[in-house]
Amino acid sequence: MSLMISQPQIYISDAPKATALFDPPIVRPGELAFYRVVFNALEESVEWPGKITAPPQLEVRPGAHGQLLQMTGAGLEPRTSFNHRIRASGLGTFAVPEFVVTVYGKPVTVPAAHLEVVAQPPANVRPPLQLTLELPVANLYVGQAASARIVMPGLPGLAVQGLGAPQLSGQGILVDLGAARQRVEMATRDGRPMPIYTYETTLTPIMTGKLTVFAQGFTAGNQFSGSIVINGATTIPGGPPQYTLLESDPIELNVRPLPTEGGLPGFTGAIGSFAVGPSKLATNVLRVGDPVKLTVSVINRSDAPFARLVAPPPPRVRDWQVFAATDYAPAQPVPPPRSSPFTILGPRAQPEAMQGVVTFNYTLIPLTETARATPPIPFSCFDPKSGNYADLTIPSVPVTVNPGATPADLTALTQPVSTAGQPEQELVLHGLAASRGRTAASLVPPQQQAWFPLMQLAPAAFFFGLWNWDRRRRYLEHHPDILLRRRARRALRRQRRILQHAARAADAPRFAAAAVTAMRVACAPRYPAEPRALVGADILPLLPEPDRSGRPGEVVRRFFTVTDAARFGTAPPNPADLLPLQPDLERVLQQLEEKL
Amino acid sequence: MKPSSLSSRPSRLGLRPSHFGFRPSFGLRYSAFGFLLLPFLSLSAFASLPDALFQTGVAAYRAADYSVAAAAFRQSVALQPASGALQALGNAEWQQRRTGDAILAWEQALWLDPFNESARQNLRFVRKTAQLEAPELAWYEVISTWLPVSWWAWIAGGSLWLAVAMVLLPGILRRRKATWHQAIAAVALMVFLLSIPALLGVQTRARIGFVLEQDTPLRLTPTLEAQSITRLAPGDPARSVRVRGRYILIRTSRTVGWIEQDQFGLTCPTKGRKAG
Repeated sequence: MSLMISQPQIYISDAPKATALFDPPIVRPGELAFYRVVFNALEESVEWPGKITAPPQLEVRPGAHGQLLQMTGAGLEPRTSFNHRIRASGLGTFAVPEFVVTVYGKPVTVPAAHLEVVAQPPANVRPPLQLTLELPVANLYVGQAASARIVMPGLPGLAVQGLGAPQLSGQGILVDLGAARQRVEMATRDGRPMPIYTYETTLTPIMTGKLTVFAQGFTAGNQFSGSIVINGATTIPGGPPQYTLLESDPIELNVRPLPTEGGLPGFTGAIGSFAVGPSKLATNVLRVGDPVKLTVSVINRSDAPFARLVAPPPPRVRDWQVFAATDYAPAQPVPPPRSSPFTILGPRAQPEAMQGVVTFNYTLIPLTETARATPPIPFSCFDPKSGNYADLTIPSVPVTVNPGATPADLTALTQPVSTAGQPEQELVLHGLAASRGRTAASLVPPQQQAWFPLMQLAPAAFFFGLWNWDRRRRYLEHHPDILLRRRARRALRRQRRILQHAARAADAPRFAAAAVTAMRVACAPRYPAEPRALVGADILPLLPEPDRSGRPGEVVRRFFTVTDAARFGTAPPNPADLLPLQPDLERVLQQLEEKL
Repeated sequence: MKPSSLSSRPSRLGLRPSHFGFRPSFGLRYSAFGFLLLPFLSLSAFASLPDALFQTGVAAYRAADYSVAAAAFRQSVALQPASGALQALGNAEWQQRRTGDAILAWEQALWLDPFNESARQNLRFVRKTAQLEAPELAWYEVISTWLPVSWWAWIAGGSLWLAVAMVLLPGILRRRKATWHQAIAAVALMVFLLSIPALLGVQTRARIGFVLEQDTPLRLTPTLEAQSITRLAPGDPARSVRVRGRYILIRTSRTVGWIEQDQFGLTCPTKGRKAG
């Protein structure tokens, strides 16, 4: 409570005010200017509109916004700034008209501001003070730490001021505030010497894709938060600081996912170029059950800063019980990127080849006397330069294990290790498949498509037809006369065609033979008998009673007489006499067919 | 209702998502994308178009250009649905923070190939990350997830006709009915009977869909001014009940209400069939 009471009071104004101005107020066409609105209110209380009204000649883009608490007497007064990046396309004087913003639930009028765009601005109008954000690389892997430098150039007269509430803004990034450093040093830019203020921190992308990040901070005059290193002769301006929200141009980062191929065991998110130093064991002669400390150094071999290096998980082995490690990561100086517009003057510490050392401490307990060496601890990292995973497995150390005093207790320790199931698999997003995998014509299942039920009709029809055919076949087997009659009808039709052909060709012998054969096959099923065994007397009973002695009977007798005489007689008769009998023969055959 | 309107959302390239890209008009949109892909496609002259699009998407995904990757995977899936391509589409959508589309794509990947462990693990990962629930399945729906959905129909049809053949053919062919004839017939009949619940499960699972948009209002009535019952998160599962106009009645695990069709994606989009 006393700590809370001792804190300076934050002054909340009953009548919040807003100021608006262009920085600088005079620019050339196309030059950058900042439209800056400042409130003496908390940022959370300002309902800032998403878009401000401006002349169409002004290209307006939202910029940084932030809040700083300014010392005023015994209390603190909030100052909230909203920046917009302005570029004018033509000459003239342009105004952003006044508008109303709700602050603390009350309407506050933001006054109008004017921007003059001229071809040649006066010499005393200086370009707006801007921050410079420097990143060593723009292509990063997700989780790969990169050092970020926010540089604020000095003022005329070799003066330099501090930067209040510096921060990196953008989605999908993690900024390590604990690793921040600041310094002032002399540099040249475009050949002019100037002091620069540098704020260094570590940035880690935590999302993949194209990320945009920019730096922002308030000018803080002679107020520096935390320790600062000053190199060279510079001037720190006195008097109350002017808290002006500055920002840098945005930088686009291309953040790629870590490849899923080639992953190695023991990967805990370490990205960079690392090497494992020699493992140090407190003693090489142990007793069963005695804990021993294993110290492992991991050395950073790259320019990238040490981010959060997580120790590999302790392995589960039969002869040892290994407890989780503790780690320590000292911050190391990071060199400026080569693309920096500032050239550092004077002596400065050269970047060391080794950027830092992390020490992992494991506690190991031998569980049996058979242990001859400490277990290797799987560990790996991803090297962004090569794009591959590197094996950093912590090697085993030879030991001698003597019998311990309490082997019975250790048996209980070994049991959970040997019987414990596998730890729950950590859920991760799996990568892309190597191929397109199982394909289908459609996501709609076959039973919902019209062709599938129709296709099922095919085997149904087949089996129904097969069953019907079998049924018919069995019926005919029990009624063979049906088949005889069917065959007789077919043979009769065939013989009638032959005799008709013979009649047209006046081939009397063939005509007579076909007529006799036709009468025989038409009568054969009635006896039943072999057709060739039938004679004329067998045909006549099948004719109606009046026809047997009438013309049809005579026709039958004549045909059989002639054919029998031609076959068995010594003086064959002339069958040409039979050709005129064709109409009578047709009637006889018709009568016979009707009886089939 | 137009089935094509189900769960369609514009992408960065002006294309529409795949889950319902099985439309005749797809070729028109493809022409716009094909211009961008021409250099890639010319390199893949020997590969089929879906494969070439898939490889293009993989390259874009590895370059962290997820919108282009998603568009390529979507085109590949529209030309020929494939489990791996749907899984990749889900990954690309997830990287663009489109949880609903990602879950829908992975569910479709499992719909085609329940042996796709990567898609299953991704669904578990995303549902745990986004605190989403999986659809509740009845026992016969669980059975239907054991095999690809298209297999059940073939298994049912094949086993039925095999049983019929084993019963009919020995008599027709004048063969004595042997024990193995009867055994095959019995097994085939048993398989047919067991596949019936799975077929039913496929039918009912086809109505499962997922909310696509953030804070989708669940309406009391299918009208624009309807009272909002609750708001649904992207990836929330629901079952479509019926369609009226441009609204669809869905049943979630807690309540029933109407949402716009564009905000809901069915696992099994159908052409010319109403969702409800």
